[in-house]
Amino acid sequence: MKVSLSWLKRFVDFEYSSSELADKLTMQGFESEVVTDFSSLQHIVVGEVKSAEKHPDADKLKVCTVTDGNDSYNVVCGAPNVDKGQKIVFAKVGAVLPGDFKIGKAKIRGVESFGMICSERELGISEEHDGIMVLDHSCEVGVNIDSILGEAYDAIDVEITPDKAFALSHRGIAREVAAMSGAKLKTPIEVSKITSKGKDLIKVSLDKDGGCTRYIAGTMKNLTVGPSPKWLTDYLKSVGQKSINNLVDISNFMLLEIGHPTHIFDLNKLSKPTIEVKWAKKGEKFDALDEESYKLDTDHLIITDSVNTIALAGIIGGKDSAVSETTTEVLIESAYFNPVVIRKGSKKLNLLSEASRRFERGADPEATLEAFYMIVGLMTEVAGGTLESLITDESTIDTTLHKVSLSEDKLLKYTGQEIDSKSVGSILDGLYIGYDKSKTGWDCTIPSFRHDVVHETDLIEEVLRCYGYENIKSSYSFSSQMQYANDEEQPLFELKQYLSSLGFNQCYNNSLQDIEEVKAFGITPVSVMNPSSERMNTLRTTLHRGLLENLDFNFKNGSANTLIYEHGTVFEKKGDTLKDIDQVSNFSCLIHGNFYDKSVHFDGVENNFFLLKGIATNAFQTLTKAKVKFVEDKSSYCDIFYRIVDNKKNTVGSIGVIAGSFLDKLDIAHKTDVCVMDINTTFFTEHFNHSVKVKDIILYPVVTRDLNFKLDSGANLGEVCSAMKSVNQSILQDVWPVDIYQSKEEKSKKNVLFKLSFQNIKKTLEDNEVNAIITEIISIVTKKFNAKLRDN
Amino acid sequence: MSLDNTIKEIQTSFRSDLSNCKTTTDLENIRITYLGRKGKITILFDDFAKLPGSEKPKYGKALNVLKTDLTIAFNQKMNELNPNSSGSNNNSADFSLPGYDLPKGSLHPLEQITSEIKSIFQSVGFSVAYGPEIDDDYHNFEALNVPKHHPARDMQDTFFIDPNTVLRTHTSNVQIHLMENQDPPIRHICCGRVFRNEAVSYKSFCLFNQVEGLVVNESSSFAEMKGTLEYFVEEMFGKGTKMRFRPSYFPFTEPSAEVDIWNDKLNQWMEILGCGMVNPNVLANVGYDNKKYQGFAFGMGIERIAMIKYGIKDIRLFYQNDKRFLEQF
Repeated sequence: MKVSLSWLKRFVDFEYSSSELADKLTMQGFESEVVTDFSSLQHIVVGEVKSAEKHPDADKLKVCTVTDGNDSYNVVCGAPNVDKGQKIVFAKVGAVLPGDFKIGKAKIRGVESFGMICSERELGISEEHDGIMVLDHSCEVGVNIDSILGEAYDAIDVEITPDKAFALSHRGIAREVAAMSGAKLKTPIEVSKITSKGKDLIKVSLDKDGGCTRYIAGTMKNLTVGPSPKWLTDYLKSVGQKSINNLVDISNFMLLEIGHPTHIFDLNKLSKPTIEVKWAKKGEKFDALDEESYKLDTDHLIITDSVNTIALAGIIGGKDSAVSETTTEVLIESAYFNPVVIRKGSKKLNLLSEASRRFERGADPEATLEAFYMIVGLMTEVAGGTLESLITDESTIDTTLHKVSLSEDKLLKYTGQEIDSKSVGSILDGLYIGYDKSKTGWDCTIPSFRHDVVHETDLIEEVLRCYGYENIKSSYSFSSQMQYANDEEQPLFELKQYLSSLGFNQCYNNSLQDIEEVKAFGITPVSVMNPSSERMNTLRTTLHRGLLENLDFNFKNGSANTLIYEHGTVFEKKGDTLKDIDQVSNFSCLIHGNFYDKSVHFDGVENNFFLLKGIATNAFQTLTKAKVKFVEDKSSYCDIFYRIVDNKKNTVGSIGVIAGSFLDKLDIAHKTDVCVMDINTTFFTEHFNHSVKVKDIILYPVVTRDLNFKLDSGANLGEVCSAMKSVNQSILQDVWPVDIYQSKEEKSKKNVLFKLSFQNIKKTLEDNEVNAIITEIISIVTKKFNAKLRDN
Repeated sequence: MSLDNTIKEIQTSFRSDLSNCKTTTDLENIRITYLGRKGKITILFDDFAKLPGSEKPKYGKALNVLKTDLTIAFNQKMNELNPNSSGSNNNSADFSLPGYDLPKGSLHPLEQITSEIKSIFQSVGFSVAYGPEIDDDYHNFEALNVPKHHPARDMQDTFFIDPNTVLRTHTSNVQIHLMENQDPPIRHICCGRVFRNEAVSYKSFCLFNQVEGLVVNESSSFAEMKGTLEYFVEEMFGKGTKMRFRPSYFPFTEPSAEVDIWNDKLNQWMEILGCGMVNPNVLANVGYDNKKYQGFAFGMGIERIAMIKYGIKDIRLFYQNDKRFLEQF
């Protein structure tokens, strides 16, 4: 909300500049920023237009001579309203206007221009930019603009959180200023009971459900619609509002003055001088002031004249009953509407107005009558009208002020620091909260505009924010509550560190994706009802989609070599309720291209299936102590797919090579195999184990032997190795295929060199022990795999 | 023939064979004759096995020396005949060559910040809790003192799965689950992804990562909240970081505050976290006795902190996964 300093001064005297005030309000719970601070503007003075001639080369421009009292300047100006003799705001060369707009020498269509004649928008006063700002003739030429405009237009922007409805007006903010400075609040408009000249009576009936609990109505006649007086337009202008006419301006002014929304109907446009507050019919059409037509529902509260709908209660008035240039008689509405009703109604139509914003946060029921009288008073003064009806005040509202107690003990326990009782008293005074000091605390009476104060903690908050959070001393006694700090995802963090130190880049991808792309992965996805864009309407079912996109993006940006992984939640829809949505923590890796490119050192190493296989073997073994195996299986979009299983046959992950056709379908740029690995996070987390039990190191020597077999070229070497290992589990420690050679002459065969290592954990191995095993291995491999031992 | 003599003979004949050797084929034959599976050395070891136990130590050593000598001499010859056989020999002389071009792995900046925050709070006894990203309206809003049709709902634009199911707008839903399942004292942080239905731009994304904390016991006060968060800010941003607590509003805390730290470069305060004393209504909603228990909660956006810390100007970079960005961390 834009708050004008001059307007605030109607209610409270203070000496703060815009920025000081913004700082002080910020520290009291109202985050504020300076909008205009004329004291910070340099080289901007009152100028006088000595002459204004048409630009020789442009129809819409004028060449003016402007004086600052000492010198004359040539200034090219495009405003239609610039004229000889005007006092204007002159920004000289070197000035910096709000928005960091620097004024320099310029040549406009061949004519040199030294400075600028400013519009209101350029000065940050309003959006007015149709012409330049013309100052009062009494302004002295040459004086700094701050002394002319600062007082009227200095303003700050105050962010008002939803709980602080009481501050949605200049009076509301002024109360806060008074509370901080100790100054007294002034009453700029004395509310006096005005007695009616006529005897007309407006019949008002309220709805039965508490949608409207107070409705005050009265009529005024003999009004003259016309421009508002200067003081009124100036105040509106100081918060950036345009003047429309005196009647509309008065209603807008009251809203910003005391924060209570009122509405003014053209009496002659009503069917009857009657007000009925009721619920709309389903599908009812309503033409509003904003030229829009709305379709209402049964939970929309409306105001009718018993025949037509004349307003959407608390939100917006009707087009057909609005005041216009020809209005002479009005019906004034000042009411109190239920916050939830207004909130629902405005949300449903997506229609937020200054009035609905205040009613939905809770207006002040007591301000209803006050606002009514103020409007009548102002209309009498500004538009020459007279109150013609008796005042109808239909009310079902309970106006008893509620009481809340604050105990000294609770305040101390909550704050952690003693606040002296005198300070508490003066804070409550400043906030207009009445109290009786008892032995144990304060029995408070809450004013009607502070319906947000309901609980004891609400009072504690009021006391603390006014006492100043900076005045509460920090306590570091929390070490007494130390406890064992656990993080179930720590194992996955170790896995991430392991992969990243191998050269992987961790990715974070958007959980929201395009349904068409998600569907390609064959899992039923969960969609969002109200997506912000169609490209992000569905939750991911796999991390692969994002990683593939990352591959594509980086490949197209010059990095083909990809080692990436992501850890995150994926979602699967298994039914229609929340508990039927699977939300699973996944961990996926994707690789492509080379691990090492060809270099002077070697020929290049591929990022392929076997890299992932090695990583899986190592990661599980070092981080979970699980020895894993790889079991061939099928997957819908991988050509090659292996499940990773532990020795209890649990599936703990998978490795696959994504089918080229699938990559093409998704349009993923690639030049080598794209391999993915998934790790079961639950298994990994549960089996993560750093409590290593060290095995004794075997001191007996290791004996290695090479065996060179000629095998069928289709022979599965993994199976050959397992067959060899199964011969003797205790002495034969390991078997590795170290070389494969296929001759051009004999393509149906391959020669494979195996390295075998033997070790006896109890004694030095005897040659004959090894020989016996070797003999058996040779016999098994020869028979089972149609192999032939090649002589060394 | 004694074993000693045999050893000497083998040495002599091996040396002469080796010096006459001119081709790799010759060399392979020498290997088979002496070091092969049925070679002279193997046979010698077989003989050795038949020796009486008393002589074994003496000859065992001699035989091993013999085998090692022969192998070394053989390898030298092989290198002479075939200088490229052992890989990088041709490069080893030029140490000005670049090292291996190892891939530059990294943890994502958001992971790094999250992990840093976690360990700071773990160091003062906070455990880490996790919870669902899709949750019901009750856990995301109502239990946190944000009833339906409350203007505070406008503070967070929500993605809906159905009218009663949302993508969580904060990790506070985890706090509710935690308290529903556990009695005080509570001393936890929760972290994870949260979603906001906002237009994507350089300063806002449809999701971000949050860390929230919750302390509930019989005594934790506003002063202790200040102390805890000051400790955090100093650990995270450096000793002597200028900070301030200013009043604010969150439905689930009261009194509420926002914490700003001073940015020297920009010459302005920057908001980094929100906090407050847990609203007694929230404690009542999970069945805690709010006359006995009190505490505080706080929350912060990881992206925002990462942007401040690393000087990142566009939030979308975190989710683009450009290698040129990731490799910098």
